[in-house]
Amino acid sequence: MKKNVLVLSLCTAMIAAAFTTPAHADEAALLQRIEKLAAELEAMKAELAANKQKTENVAKTQQQLSTTVAENTAAISTAAAKSDASASAVAMAQTGSVSGPQTVISSYGEINYTRPRQANNQAQTDVARAVIGLTHRFDEKTKMVAEFEWEHAVTSKDDQGESEVEQLYVEHEIREGLSAKAGLFLMPVGLLNSNHEPTAYYGVHRNFVETAIIPSTWREAGFGLTGTHDNGLTWDLGLTTGFDINKWDGTSTDGSQSPLGSIHQEGQLAKSRDLSMHAAVNWRGVPGLLVGASVFTGKAGHGTTDGVANDSRVTLWDMHARYNPGKLDLSALYTRGTMTGVTALNQTLVGQITPVPSSFYGWYVQSAYQVWKTDRYSLTPFVRYERFNTAQSYTDMPQGLGLTPAVDQKVSTFGANFRIGEGVVLKADYQKFQQDSSLDRYNLGVGYAF
Amino acid sequence: MKPLAPLSLTALMTISSSAFATQYLTVEQAQQSIFPDANHFAPLPLQLNVEQMKQVEKIAGLPARSVAWRTIAAYKDNALLGYMVLDDVIGKFELISYAVGLLPDATVKQVEILTYRESHGFEIRNANWRRQFVGKTANAGLMVGEGIANISGATLSCTHVTDGVRRIAAIAQVTLKK
Amino acid sequence: MVYFLCRQKTSCALFKTMNLFRFATANRRVTHPQFHRQFLTRVAMAASVSLLSACGGSGASSNAGSATGVDTGMSAAAQVGQKIFADVTLSASGKMSCATCHDPANAHAQTNTLSVQLGGANLDVPGTRAVPSLRYLDKTPAFAFGDDGKPVGGFTRDGKAPNLAVQAETPFMAAHEMANNGRADVVAKLQKASYVNEFKQAFGADIFSNTDTAFERALFALQQYQLEDTEFHPYDSKYDRFLAGKATLSDSELRGLALFNNPTKGNCIACHISTKGKDGSAPLFTDFTFDNLGVPRNTLIPATANADNFDMGVCGPDRADLAKRTEFCGAFKVPTLRNVATRKVFFHNGKFNNLRDVVSFYVRRDTNPEEWFPLAVDGSVLKFNDLPAAFASNVNVKEVPYNRQPGMAAALTANEVNDVVSFLSTLTDGYKP
Repeated sequence: MKKNVLVLSLCTAMIAAAFTTPAHADEAALLQRIEKLAAELEAMKAELAANKQKTENVAKTQQQLSTTVAENTAAISTAAAKSDASASAVAMAQTGSVSGPQTVISSYGEINYTRPRQANNQAQTDVARAVIGLTHRFDEKTKMVAEFEWEHAVTSKDDQGESEVEQLYVEHEIREGLSAKAGLFLMPVGLLNSNHEPTAYYGVHRNFVETAIIPSTWREAGFGLTGTHDNGLTWDLGLTTGFDINKWDGTSTDGSQSPLGSIHQEGQLAKSRDLSMHAAVNWRGVPGLLVGASVFTGKAGHGTTDGVANDSRVTLWDMHARYNPGKLDLSALYTRGTMTGVTALNQTLVGQITPVPSSFYGWYVQSAYQVWKTDRYSLTPFVRYERFNTAQSYTDMPQGLGLTPAVDQKVSTFGANFRIGEGVVLKADYQKFQQDSSLDRYNLGVGYAF
Repeated sequence: MKPLAPLSLTALMTISSSAFATQYLTVEQAQQSIFPDANHFAPLPLQLNVEQMKQVEKIAGLPARSVAWRTIAAYKDNALLGYMVLDDVIGKFELISYAVGLLPDATVKQVEILTYRESHGFEIRNANWRRQFVGKTANAGLMVGEGIANISGATLSCTHVTDGVRRIAAIAQVTLKK
Repeated sequence: MVYFLCRQKTSCALFKTMNLFRFATANRRVTHPQFHRQFLTRVAMAASVSLLSACGGSGASSNAGSATGVDTGMSAAAQVGQKIFADVTLSASGKMSCATCHDPANAHAQTNTLSVQLGGANLDVPGTRAVPSLRYLDKTPAFAFGDDGKPVGGFTRDGKAPNLAVQAETPFMAAHEMANNGRADVVAKLQKASYVNEFKQAFGADIFSNTDTAFERALFALQQYQLEDTEFHPYDSKYDRFLAGKATLSDSELRGLALFNNPTKGNCIACHISTKGKDGSAPLFTDFTFDNLGVPRNTLIPATANADNFDMGVCGPDRADLAKRTEFCGAFKVPTLRNVATRKVFFHNGKFNNLRDVVSFYVRRDTNPEEWFPLAVDGSVLKFNDLPAAFASNVNVKEVPYNRQPGMAAALTANEVNDVVSFLSTLTDGYKP
C-alpha cells in the first residue's frame, strides 16, 4: 500500500515534470527524463487497458470492482520495475480505443397488430419488418453501411413477403465537415425516411404522408455529398437513379395508394438513362429545433422504344420542422409531388382504374408529450392529424373523358409510445379515417432498434 | 533502465500531441478552451472505490461504469481552477470522444467534443447545444428531455453524451468536490 | 438464325441483298397460287419494298413490323412452310390449302361469309366451327391449368393442340377440311410439289425415306412460317401507333377505348388485355384463358340439325381428353381482338356476322335475352340453347358486363356500343395515317 502511494506520487511528479519542464539540451538528462516518462507510460497503459475493458461491460458486480482495483494497483507497482517500455503498444491501444469498434451490427424490427373497428374478421398480425444493418469502418475516413430487410415474415413464390437490400453504400470523409457517399442510400427527404426505426416515430404504422406521398423507405443508387457546418446547417446534394414511368399499371390500385411507391426502382436493374438530382438543407442551430426542406427531380421515361412518356418528369419537394426541446415533441411536414409529360400516357390508359396523376401532396402536424418517465421507462402519448391526396390533379383529357381528382384523405391518429430502456418500444394507437370510417382501426405494436 | 527505442519516442510524442487526423480538438486544445486562464495542468489519476461508485450511481441514475477516469486538474499558479475529465461513449455505431470541464464545486463549466464520426448528429458539436450543460450539476437538468434538448435524427448520440456528462458530473460531486 | 441476325441493323443490308432474289420469287399476297401471272409485278414490288422497308423494326421489340410484310431472313424451314401453307395440291380436292381459309389478305382468316367452310374431296363437306385468324398466335402458351384451376393456353378454339405444329396436322386429315388419307398420302403429294428440292435442302436429301419424319418436318415448317413471318404479327395497327404516341385516336375511338377498359362498363380488358406487358411488349388483346359466353345456337351449321349435337369446347366432343371436366363444358378460348373488324363471322360457331351485334350481345344478353335466343312455345326464352340444359349453369354470369338481369339497363348504351366498335376498328393491321 505504501509502495502504491509512493509510486503514485512519483508518477504524478514525473508527469507534472514532463508537462511543465522544458526539454534539456543535455543528453544524459534527456535520457533520464525519457526513462521517467517510460515509467509513466506504463501507468497510463494499465489505466487505459482497464478503461477499455470497462467501456465494453455495462453490468458490474462488487467482485469485479475489487478485482479491477487490485489489478490496477499491481500494474502500477510493476510499472516502476519495468525498463522496457513498449510505447508503440500504448500507441496502438490508444488508436484502438479512440476509433471504436470496426464492424457494428445493428438491427430493428416491428411486429404489428391491426384490427379494423368495424370488421373483426380482418384483424391481422404481421411481422412488418425485420432488418439487419452492418457498418464497417475501414479507416478513420472510410466506412460502408448496409441494411437488409425482410417484410411480412416469409418470402417465396407463394408468399407475400419481400426481402430487400435497403441500403448499401460506402462513405468517405473528404475533409472535416464534408463527406461523400456512393451506392444505394436513403433520400434525405422529410422526417421519417432517414429516421425510420420503430423507436424513432410515434404510432404503430408509419404516417401516411411519408408512405403514400414520400415513398418511405425511399432509396436510390448513385452519388451523394453531405456537408455540415458549425452553425448547425447540414446540406445534401446527390445524383442518383430515379423513377420509371413505364412501371405504371393503370389496372392496379398501387398507383392510387402511393404514386411514387408504384414506380420506384429501388436499385433493382434500375433504368438509368434518365438520372435524378436531389438537394436537401437542414438546420439545427437552436437546441431541440430542426427545420429543413428538400427537392428531388428527374425524368422518368428512359428513352423507351415506342414509349409514350419519354419526356415525363417526376419532382417531389418537402418542408419539415421538428421542435423537441424537452418533454414536448412537435412535428410538421408539407410535401408535394408532380408528374409532367404524362398527357399522352393517360390517353392510352383511358378508362382504366388508376390513371397517372399530375400532382399529389400531403401534410401533417403531430404533437407528443412525455408524461411519465423513470430510469428505464417512459410514456409518451401523441396525436397526429394528416391530410393527403394521391391524385390531387390530372392531365386534361378530351371532352367526356375527363378525370376527376381524388378527394383529400384525412386521418387522425391518437396513441402512445411506451419506451422500455433505450431500444424497445410498445405502441398502441387508434386511427380515424374521415373519408371512409370503415377503415378506422386499432393498432398495437412492438418494436426495437439497436 | 534501458534507453528507449526511437520508435517509442515518436509514439510518446504522438500521444502527448494527439494529432489524429479526424480529431476536432486535441486534449491540449480542449483544456485550453475550457480553462483559458490556466497556466499549468496536472494529470489527476482518478480512481473510485466501491462506495463512491455506488454513490455515483445513486446520483446519476446510471452505473459508474469505470473505476479509473482520466482527469486533468487546471491551475493558475497555485490556485485550482477546476478539472477536465476525458471520456468516450458510443453514439449509434461510432465512438465519441469528449471532455467535461468542471468547477471545483462540481458544476459543469463546459463540454467539448474531441472526435465525432457518426453520419448524423454533428450538431452535438455546436456551441448552442453544448451551452445547455453549463452551470448544471448531476442533480438536475442534465438529461435529454429534462434540461437538454434532443437532436432530431441523432437521439442515441445526444442521449449517450448527455448521460456521460451527467455521470462525470456525479463523479465530480462524489470525489472532487471541495 | 438468319432471321435473328437480321434484327441487328448492321447485318440487315447484307441479308436484304442476299435474299432479294429469293423474295422476288416469294409467293406472297395471293389468294390462289398463280404467281406466274403476277410474277413480274411482284418482283418489282418486292425489289422496291425491300429497298425501302426498315429492317425488322426496332431490334428486340416486334412492335413496328415491316410496312408491307416483305420479310428477310426467315429460316429455311419457314420459307418452305410458306410454300406448304399455300400449296393446294396437298388436299384431297386439289383445291384447298391453308391459305384458302386463312387468307393472308384478310388477317389470315376467311373472306367469305359462311359460318363454317366447306371442305372434303368435293368441297361440299361443312365444318363445325368458324375459321379463326392465325395472326398473333406466336406468344400463346401451351395448354395447362393455372394456379386458380382454370385452363390457359393451347391452340384452336378448345386449346386441344399444344403448339402450332401439332395443330397443323388436323386440317390435313379432317374430312371437312383437306381430307387427305393419312400421312403417307400427304407426303406423297409433297414429293410431287414444285418446292420439293427446297424441302430436301432444308431437312436433308433423304428426308422422304421415313414418312412420319417427313410429315412432321412439314408440320414444323408450317409452324416456323407462322412464328417467324412478321406478316402474322406486324403490330402496325392504329392502336399500336397510338400506344407509341405517334397517332391520335378520334373522339369516338377514345371513348370506345375508355369503355373497353372501364371495369364497370365494358370491362373487356378483363380478358382482352389492352395494356402493354411489364416488359413493354405490345398488348395481344387476350389473356389466353377460356370463357363461356352462352352464344346462341347457330342453326346454319348443318350439324346442329341433330338436337343432341352440342359443340362444348374444352370438354369436347372435338377435344377428347377433358370429357370429365364438365365444369368447362361450353368454354372456348378467348381469341385476340386484333383484326376483329376484318372478320366476317364471329364466335366459335359464326353465329354473328357483324361486330356491332357482337358487342351488343355482350351487354344485352342478360337484360334482353329475347333479342338473341329463340322463344319456346310458351313464350319463355330458350337461353343458352347451344348447351345441354345441365351445363347452362356453366355460362359466365358473374363478370361485368354480363352480370345483369332482365329489366336492368344494359352496361353500354347503343351509342357506347358504336364507340366500342369504332375503337375495335383501330386494331386492324396495316394502318396508314
